Amino acid sequence: MAGGRLATVHHQVSSVLLRPHIQPSLSVPTPSPLRNTTTAIQSSRQTQSCFSTSAPRPARKGAVQQVDPRVTNIRYHLFHPRVPRPLRFSRLRALRHWTIHRAWQMFKAKTNTQREKELERQYQSMARACEELRLTDENGMRVSEADANGNKKVGRLFRIAMEKKRVWGPGKGFPIEYARAQTDYPPRNGWNHEWTR
Amino acid sequence: MALREAVSSFRTASRAALRPLPQYHTNALAVRYNSTAALDSASEDLEPSSSFGASAPQEDLVAQFDPLSWSRGRKKQLPPSRYRYRPPKYYRGPLHPNQPPPESDPASRAFRPGPFMKTRLEQTHEATIAADYMTLVYQHYPPGTRPSKSGQRLREWVGDSPYFENRPLRAPRGGTTLSPVRKPITFRNVPRITGVTVHSFCKDGISESAYIHVASMIVQSVTNVRCQTHESRTTVQQWAYKARRTVAVKAKLDVDDAHDFLGKTIDMVMPKIKDYSGVSGTSGDSCGNISFGFTPEQVAYYPEVEAIFDQYPPQMIPGFHVTVHTSAVNDRDARLLLEAYGIPFYGKHVN
Repeated sequence: MAGGRLATVHHQVSSVLLRPHIQPSLSVPTPSPLRNTTTAIQSSRQTQSCFSTSAPRPARKGAVQQVDPRVTNIRYHLFHPRVPRPLRFSRLRALRHWTIHRAWQMFKAKTNTQREKELERQYQSMARACEELRLTDENGMRVSEADANGNKKVGRLFRIAMEKKRVWGPGKGFPIEYARAQTDYPPRNGWNHEWTR
Repeated sequence: MALREAVSSFRTASRAALRPLPQYHTNALAVRYNSTAALDSASEDLEPSSSFGASAPQEDLVAQFDPLSWSRGRKKQLPPSRYRYRPPKYYRGPLHPNQPPPESDPASRAFRPGPFMKTRLEQTHEATIAADYMTLVYQHYPPGTRPSKSGQRLREWVGDSPYFENRPLRAPRGGTTLSPVRKPITFRNVPRITGVTVHSFCKDGISESAYIHVASMIVQSVTNVRCQTHESRTTVQQWAYKARRTVAVKAKLDVDDAHDFLGKTIDMVMPKIKDYSGVSGTSGDSCGNISFGFTPEQVAYYPEVEAIFDQYPPQMIPGFHVTVHTSAVNDRDARLLLEAYGIPFYGKHVN
């Protein structure tokens, strides 16, 4: 009987102790401290300045240890269900939504196709250019396939291009200056090479 | 074997001898089939009466039945539960008769408005990186030629043994897994980022769940994806490591979230790290997925963490590993793609 009363008193005390910590930093309601006792942890090192570095031991066996209010806050927001009920549309609104959704899907498909076609066009023109270079001799004249075979003077630029010298490996490929994501207002000076810490 | 064959041949021979000769029926009415015979014997069990013989409803009942006037005479509308379709709350599998609405339907619980625009990094990829990448790695094959094939992936059995004939091919040298074949990059298969996995292992979660909760909150706020948790499998006494305890959190990001997260990482976190050399060139699983990690101090540079840094217990902020999944089939291509996005690599590149 006496132990039970003591326990309730302790809960009240812990809730009183918890509140001043929580109130300045929180604008949301916190769960009752009774709930926290089930997942009690001992980490109040940054909230209290302890005399010694050893973990604080409760005076009485079974006493509730204080939880860091920040952890309490995180747990509250992590496990607090905030799922709204699904939206219900009337017939006309649902139809309107469906129309807009279909239009958006079609627009996306169209844009994707357009982009793929543009890439394909670039690829085909690269292929055509390489084919032209492959069959071009040192005077810039086009030669036939039979003349080009094994002839060192034909297709020199093509061979150099296909060496892929500065593409693969450390320090090759894309330079770091290239990697700038698109912005609405890019800086006038692209890359500050003089910058030091 | 031979004895068994002899016995079976004797059986078939004796059965043929015992079989009666086929009878040819001259009278079709005399044919008796087993099914009709069974029907005769079962006819006592069948119910003689049927619903076809039932009498028509009474005249007054027919006169009373008028559902149209009932609905017209109703003062109030029926409650919605009597006429409205109610989708199931949870997906119960493809065979369940009551299927939830598609995710694009606002009535679906999985409905999310948007995306209203593409992320900045994705737009950059579509506008410049894809074309530049394709141009950079373009390999020309003159008409009529094909890219040379690499050696045998599955090896044949070479030797004099007669058992080698028709034997399934041998596994590749040095392992049982086949690495994917790299096809030449064309406009169809320019590598792109397909996802990101953020994973944080918190060993202290064994003793205190607060570490897991803080890690989960930080990963969730940084990635915009709800975390999954993982349990430890084994107990290791020396490390005070116990089995079946929650020790790690993981977030799997789809394309949009992945680009958003990478944009933050590249533009806001990596430049803030002091003396950051970049990602190790040896990173990668040789199938086009590159991993790198951030220490707790570096995780604190993420804007979501930095803005409310004092709301987290500082010693509980976790480090995490980031795995970038790309559609490239080897690490070399994936690394070149990430370089184009702005992730620096250091050291020797291992493919």
